[in-house]
Amino acid sequence: MKKFSQLAIPYIVWMVLMLVLPVALIAMYSVTTHGNSIISFSFTLEHYKKFFTDSDFLLVLGRSLMIALKTTIICLLLGYPAAYFIARSSEKVQNLLIMAITIPTWINMLVRTYAWIGLLSDGGIVQQILKLLGLGEVELLYTEGAVLLGMVYNFIPFMILQINSALCKMDASLLEAAADLGASKAETFKKVTFPLSLPGVINGITLVFLPAVSSFFIPKLLGGGQYFLIGNLIENQFITAGEWNFGSAISMIMAASMMLMMMLVKKIEVRNNGGKEEV
Amino acid sequence: MKQDKRMFGKILMGLLIVFFYAPIIYMIVFSFNEGKSLTHFSGFSLKWYQHMLESRDMMESLYTTFSIAILSTLISTVVGTITAIGLSKSKKVVRDVVEQVNNLPIMNPEIVTAIGFMLFFITFRVEKGYITMLLAHIAFCIPYVILSVMPKVRSLDPNLADAAMDLGATPMQALIKVIVPQITPGIVSGALIAFTMSVDDFIISYFVTGQGVKNLSIMVYTMSKRVNPSINAVSTLVVAIITVALLAINLIPAFVAKQQEKGRGNGSKPLLFAVAGVLVVISTIGFALHGGLKGSEKPYQGQTLRIYSPGEYMGENIIPAFEEMTGARVVLELFDSNEQMYIKVANGESYDILIPSDYMIERLIQEELLQKLDQSQIINMDFINEEVKNLSYDPGNEYSVPYFWGSVGIIYDTTKVTREELEKDGYNIFLNPKYKGDIYLYDSERDSFMMALKALGYSMNTEKEEELQKAYEWFETCVTTMEPEIVTDEIIDNMAQGRKALGIVYSGDAAYIMSENEDMGYFEPLEGTNNWCDAMVIPANAENVELAQEFMNYLCSYEAAYDNSDFVGYTSPNEEVMDDLYGEGGTYEGINAYIPRSGYEMDESFVFNERTRKIISNLWSKVKIVASNVN
Amino acid sequence: MEKKKLIEFRNIVKNFDGNFVLKGVNLDIYEKEFVTLLGPSGCGKTTLLRILGGFLDADEGSVMFDGEEISNKPPYERELNTVFQKYALFPHLSVFENIAFGLRIKKMSSDVIEQKVMKMLKLIGLEGYENKNVTHMSGGQQQRVAIARALVNEPKVLLLDEPLAALDLKLRKEMQYELKRIQQEVGITFIFVTHDQEEALTMSDKIVVMKGGEIQQVGTPEEIYNEPANSYVANFIGESNIIPGIMLEDYKVQFDDIVFDCVDFGFKKDEKVDVVIRPEDIDIVEVSQGKMTGEVLSVLFKGVHYEIMVETVPGTTVTVNMHVIRNTDVTSEDGKEKISANDFYVDIEDVAKLDDKEIIALSNAQAWNPETDELTSISKIEYELQEELGTYPVIFYAPGGTSIEKKIFVVNQRFVKNEKANEAVMAFNFFITVDEIKESKALDTDIKTWANAQGWKLSDENQSVDISVDYEFDPENINVGIYKVTFSTTGREFKIHTTDYSKEGEEVGLTFFPEDIHVMSKVVYE
Repeated sequence: MKKFSQLAIPYIVWMVLMLVLPVALIAMYSVTTHGNSIISFSFTLEHYKKFFTDSDFLLVLGRSLMIALKTTIICLLLGYPAAYFIARSSEKVQNLLIMAITIPTWINMLVRTYAWIGLLSDGGIVQQILKLLGLGEVELLYTEGAVLLGMVYNFIPFMILQINSALCKMDASLLEAAADLGASKAETFKKVTFPLSLPGVINGITLVFLPAVSSFFIPKLLGGGQYFLIGNLIENQFITAGEWNFGSAISMIMAASMMLMMMLVKKIEVRNNGGKEEV
Repeated sequence: MKQDKRMFGKILMGLLIVFFYAPIIYMIVFSFNEGKSLTHFSGFSLKWYQHMLESRDMMESLYTTFSIAILSTLISTVVGTITAIGLSKSKKVVRDVVEQVNNLPIMNPEIVTAIGFMLFFITFRVEKGYITMLLAHIAFCIPYVILSVMPKVRSLDPNLADAAMDLGATPMQALIKVIVPQITPGIVSGALIAFTMSVDDFIISYFVTGQGVKNLSIMVYTMSKRVNPSINAVSTLVVAIITVALLAINLIPAFVAKQQEKGRGNGSKPLLFAVAGVLVVISTIGFALHGGLKGSEKPYQGQTLRIYSPGEYMGENIIPAFEEMTGARVVLELFDSNEQMYIKVANGESYDILIPSDYMIERLIQEELLQKLDQSQIINMDFINEEVKNLSYDPGNEYSVPYFWGSVGIIYDTTKVTREELEKDGYNIFLNPKYKGDIYLYDSERDSFMMALKALGYSMNTEKEEELQKAYEWFETCVTTMEPEIVTDEIIDNMAQGRKALGIVYSGDAAYIMSENEDMGYFEPLEGTNNWCDAMVIPANAENVELAQEFMNYLCSYEAAYDNSDFVGYTSPNEEVMDDLYGEGGTYEGINAYIPRSGYEMDESFVFNERTRKIISNLWSKVKIVASNVN
Repeated sequence: MEKKKLIEFRNIVKNFDGNFVLKGVNLDIYEKEFVTLLGPSGCGKTTLLRILGGFLDADEGSVMFDGEEISNKPPYERELNTVFQKYALFPHLSVFENIAFGLRIKKMSSDVIEQKVMKMLKLIGLEGYENKNVTHMSGGQQQRVAIARALVNEPKVLLLDEPLAALDLKLRKEMQYELKRIQQEVGITFIFVTHDQEEALTMSDKIVVMKGGEIQQVGTPEEIYNEPANSYVANFIGESNIIPGIMLEDYKVQFDDIVFDCVDFGFKKDEKVDVVIRPEDIDIVEVSQGKMTGEVLSVLFKGVHYEIMVETVPGTTVTVNMHVIRNTDVTSEDGKEKISANDFYVDIEDVAKLDDKEIIALSNAQAWNPETDELTSISKIEYELQEELGTYPVIFYAPGGTSIEKKIFVVNQRFVKNEKANEAVMAFNFFITVDEIKESKALDTDIKTWANAQGWKLSDENQSVDISVDYEFDPENINVGIYKVTFSTTGREFKIHTTDYSKEGEEVGLTFFPEDIHVMSKVVYE
């Protein structure tokens, strides 16, 4: 079967070219002084120093992580019960609901986010509903709330689908076994269902948290020009300021800090798995 | 108890469904709105659809989105499947490494992947455009295909291929006749994911595109600053296309099964149908876009003119009229700021005409990125106002032909702010607590710093670092105490609707706002302002100089200049046009913003200085960061 | 010793989507019993178990546990525990935590839990495994953990749902003893579901044989084996020869036209019955000493014994003529195409059912390229057939236009009926070329096709009967001519397990004792 293994070779070449090299380029730009070319090359850490010695930059990173965290928590709190509800429905209803959740994700994210501008703007439908509910005239667009809403809107389907698939994958006999051993519904959920759905939860968190940290069009569209997250900072460095080296350094820092966060989450998962000894 | 829980679930599910579909339904409803408002439905109309169909920008973005999605889906599905099969037979080390690297674009923040691609294309001097976008899409789609095909390949009986070859099949036949049918579900779901990812993508496309190639996301992103219900129309069209495709995928299998009950179902067929369907739609659009241009012989038939211009800066009839006249095809690419344009031009991207501002032209001349004009060719230069000729950035107009000119000033709501206050405070009115939360700043580093420097009584061309630092501090006070919104073109529609009391704008935008809303006034502070001029120039690496000059010539003509200025609101360099539009019966009759102040001693023009530019650029970034950190 | 009744099923009915899985089951289970529910898949045994476990509700009937109706109790309130088919161990918990699960739910103190779990680990022989990840254990180990997890709760009854199905043969045998040992040690009732009769015979105190949602027989393993209640049970438990017979009077049964003494009584006079004789109860003796005689058909060596098939009553036979003819290939003018076909016979009743495909098959029509020997398809055939006796022409065309004309003989074919064996066979004379015989790779099957030979039950025409082919020519050296071919069904065969060798084709006598004959009522098949 040696022949088949050669089928992977073209892609491996392409992968090195299109996936590895670009990342290497970012890393290289982040530690070189000016000049947008690889010919003049001189090593420096000034870009990293610039980022880490300025509290404003750090604050932007902190805020980006914070809003991503908030997004993730909201998605989890809303998404878990929803996924649970779907998983416990009849197969027909299940398929229907999954369809209902998937269809919007087929439609371009920007298009859907753009629609929220109209819904949230002054005098828009949402504001009028809130007014009818006696909440007064609340400013909605260009607030952190709007950004949070945009992120939850765009990313919650991933959370629901991931958790749902973990719940569906679970062997029904495990629940019967728990009941057989005397666990009530609530106890079964706490001791069996939830721990076993954790991989889905972790996947969901990854799929929500990662894009939420780096998103820059949601804050720009719904948060307004002064709503600046780490993604906007990077965009700004590349598109307007032309500081590619600094931009690359920020990208590296962001990627690293996210990887760190994900490792932390994975660790929590392992710990939750309770004294399981790997053989 | 059990009932209660189901109830809770049902309500939650219902609310979520409403949440998911509200924006989509809103979009569809408002695409049929008679008026321009995004909040009030004033009657049924199809005019935004007409507008959309007439906008080549929008139709091209649709074409780009779907043609890229289909091509990248096809290619990545084939490559991904073959690779997954190959990997399953590879050594474990190879497989593990490839799987790890494969996860890069999935696990990395999208913006990092995007920047990586951009640096890659620039480093290897690949001209950015359709091809780079396609390559990038293929690159980020393949990992998803592999990820969804791999488990299916793994669960295959490892002897299947051997059995097929034992029975006389060649490896290729074994692949196509035995392995592929077994993993079809994985391939189909991989293809669907790839298609969605591609249609959905914004960030990567945004960084790797060039030559004016836009997909839907980029189009929405660049147009979203102004109120434009055509976006709703185009979105509705996308919803329709996707819905039809989804229905086809879900219904055709059932239909086919009914048609040939005994025939064995083929899993890939529905997808093929769907792809074929979308292909037909795409090629129709493509044909309409390209085929429609073939006509009788004209002087520049078949040639292309590539213009790089600021957004919302050209009358809507200018390009169609010019194309009609010359037979050439115009590709218009838009930039947000002179700095953004500079980066692209300096990186060697090629255009025939740029429309930068004065100081940027000075910089481009200094860096020898422009070419001299053949003065004899531009006969209409004579119509140009003497005030905007021979300015310091280009004495003798050797390189440039003025496009628009104007000043920077304060737009204010006359029902909230009095002229006396403005005259008293000048730019410092932006520090007046009375207007806290009621002001707009404009997201432009040089014009914002102009305002702060002038407010502090300095020259806007100062090279003194402590003065620039003072200006930064002025802003720091402003953004930490005044809750300003920092905007770009959003200010136009928002001020026209009277959303805030004060804002910094260009005179031309002010003219448009005032023509829309009578309560608005324009004030040029006594501390002085920026007298600016934007002009058309031809870059050194332009490919079609002759056509570029033809375009310049055309824009100097009365008809074109009138149309242009009338639509956009900026002051025309054509003196006759300016007088007519300002004068009785003109669109901007009596609107002071249309006639910028000239000859005032405190006013200045920008002088390019790389060192101060950098300082200002950094400081302005900081201002924005500080502003956002206040929230 | 009078045992106490622990569980009573009263008229349990259950249907899934209109499919009756349990049709009114009544069953009593006593304390300290090892009870096996035995039956093929779909017989309702697992459903019955799940109703007892509380995972399913019966549509009708009641379940009494220790004198108390428990139909409405949720699983977690029942004093019984289950070992699931695929164990259902919690993958996120260690061995220890899996076993401790039920105790933790009962909020026992941790030192008590520790003590109990350790005791259990000892019982199942997995000491030292408490911190292992259950997903990394072998099937047998997982099995033991599942048992321990259930037993640690000290249930009165342990339910086991095909727990050994996933294990390999050797491990399964080991676990059978292990389970029996554990049951005897803890001294509680085990209810064990299986479809493996050997497993049931080995382990049980009591076997419940089920079929189609009904209980067929309840009894000890010996009772079930030796006195099966009907032919279904006889067939399912061990191997049997089952012969239809007539009970002439008490202690007298007749089958295959011979009257035998037996020990059975209480049937109606001349009642139709099934007679079971176990293979190991029959002895092969000299023809003169046999109660029956027959011919040895096959001898298979099975290790401890031979399995010998003896035919006591011959089957139904029919003999036809095989006309071996010269090749009649037609070659196209350019020599690039050849076509061949044969005349054939067809029954007048089958004429209406004939179509192109069938005619091509019956005539054995073929077209090919003589240079490459590659077969091409028959592109077209032309024929006129009527449902009348006679001879009709048929023309076959190859793709290149080459054609061959052949005849179809429509005849009124007789078939051979054998009322006693309830079967009939039929075959046609046929035409075939020398080459076709020589090239045949599976001649017996091909001859059946060429002769269109069929066998069926007289009672049901759609139920086919296997037929075998017999001929005396040598296919390697056959010439043009007419040959006899005989088709026959198998007659009455007895399966005999014996340690004595017999030769195939030998005439032998069979003998058995009256007590080896088990007479049973006929099962009424729905």
